[in-house]
Amino acid sequence: MEPKELEARLAGRLGDSLLGVEPFQGLAGRVRFRPEAAMSLFLTMRDELGFVHLSCVGGIDWVDHREVFYILWSDALKQYVLLSSDLDGKVPHIETASAVWPSANWHEREAWELVGITFDHHPDLRHLLLPEGYQFQPLLRSFLLHEPEELEVKTRHV
Amino acid sequence: MSVPARPAAPAQAPADPNLPMVGEPAVPFFEIETLRAQQFIPVAKETLADLIAEQAQGKLIRPVFNWAGRNSLFPLHWGLACCAIEFAAAFGARWDAERFGVVPRSSPRQCDLLIVNGTVTWKVAHKLITLYEQMPEPKWVIAMGNCATGGGPFRTAYSVVPGVDKLVPVDVYIAGCPPRPEALLDGILLLETLIRERGE
Repeated sequence: MEPKELEARLAGRLGDSLLGVEPFQGLAGRVRFRPEAAMSLFLTMRDELGFVHLSCVGGIDWVDHREVFYILWSDALKQYVLLSSDLDGKVPHIETASAVWPSANWHEREAWELVGITFDHHPDLRHLLLPEGYQFQPLLRSFLLHEPEELEVKTRHV
Repeated sequence: MSVPARPAAPAQAPADPNLPMVGEPAVPFFEIETLRAQQFIPVAKETLADLIAEQAQGKLIRPVFNWAGRNSLFPLHWGLACCAIEFAAAFGARWDAERFGVVPRSSPRQCDLLIVNGTVTWKVAHKLITLYEQMPEPKWVIAMGNCATGGGPFRTAYSVVPGVDKLVPVDVYIAGCPPRPEALLDGILLLETLIRERGE
C-alpha cells in the first residue's frame, strides 16, 4: 500500500484529525494524527486495513513537546506502518491502544515510566522496568546522569 | 596475611508481629524457670566432663567443621548477566571447579556461598536480599565482576545498583569485565583462606 492510497482511505474516517501521510523508509507510510482521534484511527487500522499486529509503542522527548509512535504490521499486506502523534501540554496524554491491541499494555507501561506519557483508560498503568516508587522519567532530556543515589529498597521479610 | 574484619550484616526488616519469632521456645521462659525451681528439670552442674566438652567444642570440633565447610562451598546457581557465562565455564570440563569441592546448588537453603555474577538492578535488588536471607548461616558473598563490585560501566545509570555491597555484606571482590574462570577460582580459593583465618 502506497502512502497516497493510505491517506485517501484514512481521510474519510479521520477528517481534520489526519495531519498527513508521508513516505517513510520503505514502510507503508508515516501517519501523523491528532491525539483526539487516536481510538478511531486504531480501530480503522485494525478492522478495515488489516493491521492486526502492534509491534512497538514508544515515546520521544523533543524538549518542547513529546511524541508517541506506534508500529503496526499487516499479515495480508506484508507491510509495516508507523503512526505518530505530537503531544503538547505539561501532562502529555493519549488514549490507550491496549483495548484494540492487548500487546500495547506493557509497551505503554514502559513509555509511561521512561518518557512520562500518560495513557488514558489503561487497565494497569504501573512500573514495568523500574522499581515501585521511582520518581523520575529517566529518558527525558532533562534527566541528567548523576552519582548513584541510595534508593529505598523494599525488602521482603523472609 | 592480614584479613579485614567482616562487614556487619545489613539491617533486618522489621518482623511481622503476626508471625512467631524465630527461635522462640515452645515452652515460655518463665515456665521453664518455674519447673527448674520445682526440680522437675535438673539444673546442669559443671563437671569435669562438661569442661572437657567445652574445650573440645572450641579446639577440636570447630576446626573440623571449619575445615569441612571451607572445602565444600556450595554456591547458589543463579546467573544474572554475562559473568554467568564465565561462572558456567568455571564449572565445566576445562576448569572443573568441582575439584575444589565447589558444587552449585539450585536452592538457597542448601547453599553457603552467594556469587553475584552480573549487573544488579534496583528492580531485582530485593530478590537478591531475599535469596541471601534464605541461605543458612554461615554464609559468604563473592561480588564477581565490575558490575557487582561497583556498578561497572552502568554506575551512573538510573536503574543499576552501584555495587552489591549496598545490599549484602561482601567478602571477596573479583575484578574483570567479565573475569576469566581462573579469576573466579582464585577468588574462591581466597575465600577459603579467609574462612580458615577467621575460624568461623
